[in-house]
Amino acid sequence: MELKQFSAFQDDASREGVLFFYSGYFSQNIVSAMADAVRHRLKFQATQAITLRKVFSTFVEMSQNIVHYSADPLTDRTANDNELRSGAVSLGQQGDSYFVACGNPVLRDEVPALKEKIDRVLVMSADEIKQAYREKLRSESDPASKGAGLGLLTLARDAKRPIHYAFEKLPDDTRVFFYLKAVI
Amino acid sequence: MDDFYVPATATSPEIDFRFSSNTLGIRGESYPENATAFYGDALRQLRLYLALLDATHVEINVELKYFNSSSTKILYTLFGMLNDCISKGNDVTLNWFHDEEDETILEFGEELYEDFGQLNFRAIAVSAA
Repeated sequence: MELKQFSAFQDDASREGVLFFYSGYFSQNIVSAMADAVRHRLKFQATQAITLRKVFSTFVEMSQNIVHYSADPLTDRTANDNELRSGAVSLGQQGDSYFVACGNPVLRDEVPALKEKIDRVLVMSADEIKQAYREKLRSESDPASKGAGLGLLTLARDAKRPIHYAFEKLPDDTRVFFYLKAVI
Repeated sequence: MDDFYVPATATSPEIDFRFSSNTLGIRGESYPENATAFYGDALRQLRLYLALLDATHVEINVELKYFNSSSTKILYTLFGMLNDCISKGNDVTLNWFHDEEDETILEFGEELYEDFGQLNFRAIAVSAA
């Protein structure tokens, strides 16, 4: 990347209010280092404690989601530990809100289930989200989930507006790009 | 029974289970890659300890700066275990330290209180560092 392109890339990011952007392989160590950088950045900006925790939580949940579920793993697909998968995450500020966005490839076959899962949360009111969160907390763990199945509800609970998602075609037939954005 | 100790890392808390003095502590950050694996040994030891407990006062101090969604589920399980031991003549005080400005962590504490009413739940607000 020459200086001209590099500057243009930085200017674009700056116009979008991007404070942090990473694209590449995600591991627990990388998440930990990024989380540290994000926390310092938010503290430096004198972010209110409650907002800071929400932004930080959203950033960690999204990043760990890529570690666990991106359909581009370097490690064994069935692994549960020391995973390494590719994706991108971005944190920024627009007006008086923060946004956290992430993207990663997912298997085309997984799209309908993923859509259904998110759509179910999108129609919920703030109270319904809290209620669903409580129920999930009290229920037995979902065997298909590596976490607690609480991740999406945690994002929804901390977001100001309904979370936004989209899918984009990828050159290969088996996978599509999954994009998710939360405004806090 | 031997005490159980795990030092903190950048993404996982210190676990300081002093079974010998019936004082348990969890402090720090909690977003390990795999919360079930991280807390597995601690929960197993705790289960063994609770099974032997008889008319004892237990104190647990939880001081977590941040915990991710999968850790939340584990904490819920852990507090359920403590709540269950009370019916056997023990009593448990849970000191729940939370950032004074962080209503989400306080709310989670209150949820615990709702579900595990036998625990002597004390919310302690601390000022943000």
